[in-house]
Amino acid sequence: MKQLQLLTTVAAVAFASPAFAVEKTDVLANYANIAAAKYEDSVITAQRLQTAVAALVATPSAENLTAARHAWIAARVPYQQSEVYRFGNPIVDDWEGKVNAWPLDEGLIDYVDASYGGPSDENEFAALNVVANKTFTLSGTEIDATKITPEFLSETLHEADGVEANVATGYHAIEFLLWGQDLNGHNPGAGNRPWTDYAADATCTNDNCDRRGDYLQAVTDLLVSDLEFMAAQWADDGAARVELTADTDAGLAAILTGMGSLSYGEQAGERMRLGLMLNDSEEEHDCFSDNTHNSHYYDGLGIQSAYLGEYVRVDGTLVSGASLSDMVADTDPALDQEMQAKLSATMMALGRIKTAAEAGFAYDQMLERGNAGGEALVMGGVNGLIDQTRSIERVVTTLGLDQIAFEGSDSLDDPNAVFQ
Amino acid sequence: MRHFLFAAALTCLPALAIAQADDHVITDTVEQHILPRFKTLADTSQTLAATAQTDCAASSAPLRAAYSDAFDAWVAASHLRFGPTEVEDRAFALAFWPDSRGATPKSLSALIQAQDPIALDAQEYSQVTIAARGFYALEFLLYDDDLNTAGDAAYHCTLVKTVTADIAATSAAILQDWQTDYAGRMMDADTSDTYRSKDEVRQELFKSLTAGLQFTAETRLGRPLGTYDRPRATRAEARRAGRSERHVILSLQSTKDMAIHLAGSDTALAQRAAHEFDTALAQLAELDDPDFSGVDTPASRLKLEVIQQSVEAIRTLALQEIGPKLGVASGFNALDGD
Repeated sequence: MKQLQLLTTVAAVAFASPAFAVEKTDVLANYANIAAAKYEDSVITAQRLQTAVAALVATPSAENLTAARHAWIAARVPYQQSEVYRFGNPIVDDWEGKVNAWPLDEGLIDYVDASYGGPSDENEFAALNVVANKTFTLSGTEIDATKITPEFLSETLHEADGVEANVATGYHAIEFLLWGQDLNGHNPGAGNRPWTDYAADATCTNDNCDRRGDYLQAVTDLLVSDLEFMAAQWADDGAARVELTADTDAGLAAILTGMGSLSYGEQAGERMRLGLMLNDSEEEHDCFSDNTHNSHYYDGLGIQSAYLGEYVRVDGTLVSGASLSDMVADTDPALDQEMQAKLSATMMALGRIKTAAEAGFAYDQMLERGNAGGEALVMGGVNGLIDQTRSIERVVTTLGLDQIAFEGSDSLDDPNAVFQ
Repeated sequence: MRHFLFAAALTCLPALAIAQADDHVITDTVEQHILPRFKTLADTSQTLAATAQTDCAASSAPLRAAYSDAFDAWVAASHLRFGPTEVEDRAFALAFWPDSRGATPKSLSALIQAQDPIALDAQEYSQVTIAARGFYALEFLLYDDDLNTAGDAAYHCTLVKTVTADIAATSAAILQDWQTDYAGRMMDADTSDTYRSKDEVRQELFKSLTAGLQFTAETRLGRPLGTYDRPRATRAEARRAGRSERHVILSLQSTKDMAIHLAGSDTALAQRAAHEFDTALAQLAELDDPDFSGVDTPASRLKLEVIQQSVEAIRTLALQEIGPKLGVASGFNALDGD
C-alpha cells in the first residue's frame, strides 16, 4: 500500500514538472533586483524630501511646508512597497527600526497637546520634548542636546531608556515634525502644525523654531543616509543579496517568510485589526498625516510584487523577471491561481479603503466605535491578508520549503545558545 | 531530472507514514484537549457573571474567587488562537494584553467619568474598545487602587456586571462554535474548506503549541524581565491581581497536555516533552514571586531568566521534534510582527 502511494506521488511530481522548470537562482536574482530598485527609489524620493525640507527651513512659508508634506507622502510610496523584504531578511529587519519605527510617543520630540499626558509607567521620557530642552538626564547621565545632529538622534535619543516608543528617527518622526499631532480624534483632518513653527524671527510659534528646524534637517539627512545604506546592501555584491543567494532554498523561504509575516502578524494584526478593536485613532500607522490608507495599500502591493516578481519604479520603468508565481505554476497551477486571486482580492479590499479615504472618509473615522461602514472596510483588508497567509503557507509546503523556514533561527542552529 | 524525482520521493515518504499511523492525534486533541478547555471557560465565565449580579463590590471575596477561576480557564485555553476565538473580536475582547500604551486604564476612566450609558447593556457593550472589555479590564476594576473605587459606586457596580456578562457571552459563543461547527471541521478536514488536508489541521494545532510557548517566553516572562540594567516589573501580566507567576504555570500545564497529545503514539517523544515541561514547572514551584516584582533583585531575576530559558528549550524541542513528527512546519503566527 505504502509502495503504491509512493509511486503515485512520484508519478504526480513527474507529470507536474515540465522540462523548462524555472531556475530558483533566477527567482532570487529578480527578487534582489527588485529590492535594489525599491530601496534606490526610496533614496531618490527621500532626497527630494531633503531638498524640500531644506527650502522650508531656509525660507519658512506655508507653501514650503506644503511642498515638504507632499514630498514626504511621495517618499512613502516606494518605501512601503519595500516592507515585504523586512521579516525574511535579517539585515533589513535589524535596520528597519531606524527608518520606520512606530508607534511613537511623539512628546519625546516636540511640544504636544495637554491631553497627551506626561511620563507614563511604560515610558519616563514620553513627554521629554527635546526641541525645548537642551539638557536632560538619561539613566543618571546628564545629556547635552545643545546641538541636534544625526548622531545625537540615532545614538542617544532613539529608543532612549530602552523604550521602543521613543522613536527619534525615521519617517514617522519627520511626519510629526511636518504635520504635528492630529487632534481631530475620529473626525476628518490631519495634524495642523502651522508653518510658523519654523519661522525665524518674532513670528515663530510654539518656541524654539531654530531647534525644531535643526531637528527636521538632521532627521531627514539621517533618513537619506540610512536608506543609502540599505540600497547598498542589495547592490551586486551587497551583503543582503549575498546572504539571500547563499542557499537557494533558504532564500526562497525568506521571500515567503517576508510575505507571510507582513501579511498576518504585522499588517492584519498589529497595524489594522488592533486599531479597529481599540477604536483608537492614534493606532493609525501614519496618524499625523492621515496617510494610513496609502501606507496599508502600498504594503499590500509590495507583498503581491514579491510573489509576481514585478515592480513599477518611481520613474515608471518596470522591473520584472522569474518569480515564485512561475515556480508554483510549474508544480501546482491551481495553487498559483489561488495565490494570485487572493493577492488580488486583498488589493481590491485595500483599494476600497484608499478610495474611500481619498474621497473624504478618513481612516480615523473608520476606526470609530459603532462605525459599521468603516469596520467593514478595514476588516475587508484584514480578512484578505489573513486569507492570503493560508495560501502562502500552502506555497511553502508545495515548494518543499516547510522545514527550511525555521532552520535558520539562532536557537535552532545552536540549541545550547539559549542556556548561555 | 531523475535525481530530482528521487529527492521528491524521499521527501514524501515520512509524511505518508505519519498520516497512516497517527490519525487519532487530531480527534484526541480536539476532544480531550480543546473542547474541555472551552467548556470550562464557558462554565466559569457564566458563574462569574452570575456572581457579579449579586455581589459587584470590587473587594468581594466570592466575586474575586469567581474571577480567578474564569481567568484561570482563559489562560489554559489562551494558546488556542484559531477558528472560533478569532471570529469577530472574541479572543481580543476576552484578553487585551499586553497594553503598552495604557489603553485599558484610560478607556475605563473615560467610561466611568462620563458614566457612558453603553455600560448599561452587555450586548451594546460589545461595541466598546477591547481595552475596556475582558479579564484584563476587570482586573483594573477589581484590583487597581484607583479604578476599583473610581466614580459613582452604582455605575462602577453596573460596569462590573456588564463586563462579566460580556465575558460570559463571548465565552459561550466560542464554545458553541466549537461544539456545533469547528470541531467537525478539524476532524473531517478533507471535506471542509477551512482545512484541505489533515496536514493543514496538524499544522494549525502545532502552530498553537509553538505560538503559546513563544508568548509565554517572550511576553509573559520577557516583558517584566526587560534587560538586566532595566528590568520592568510594572509590565508583568495581571500583576495587580498577583497572577503573573500563576499564568506562566497554567499556560505551561496546558501546553504540556497539548504537546503530549501531539506526540501521539510516540511515547518516547511524549516523555521527553513532559520532562522538559516538568523541569520548568519545578523551577516555578520554587520561585514564589507571584507578581514578578522580583525582577528588580538579581537573585530572583536570575531564577526567572532560567525559567525563561527552560520555556525556550521546550519550544526548541517542539520545533525540532514534534513538528517533524507531525510532518508540518510552524507556519505564521500573530507574533511574527513586532
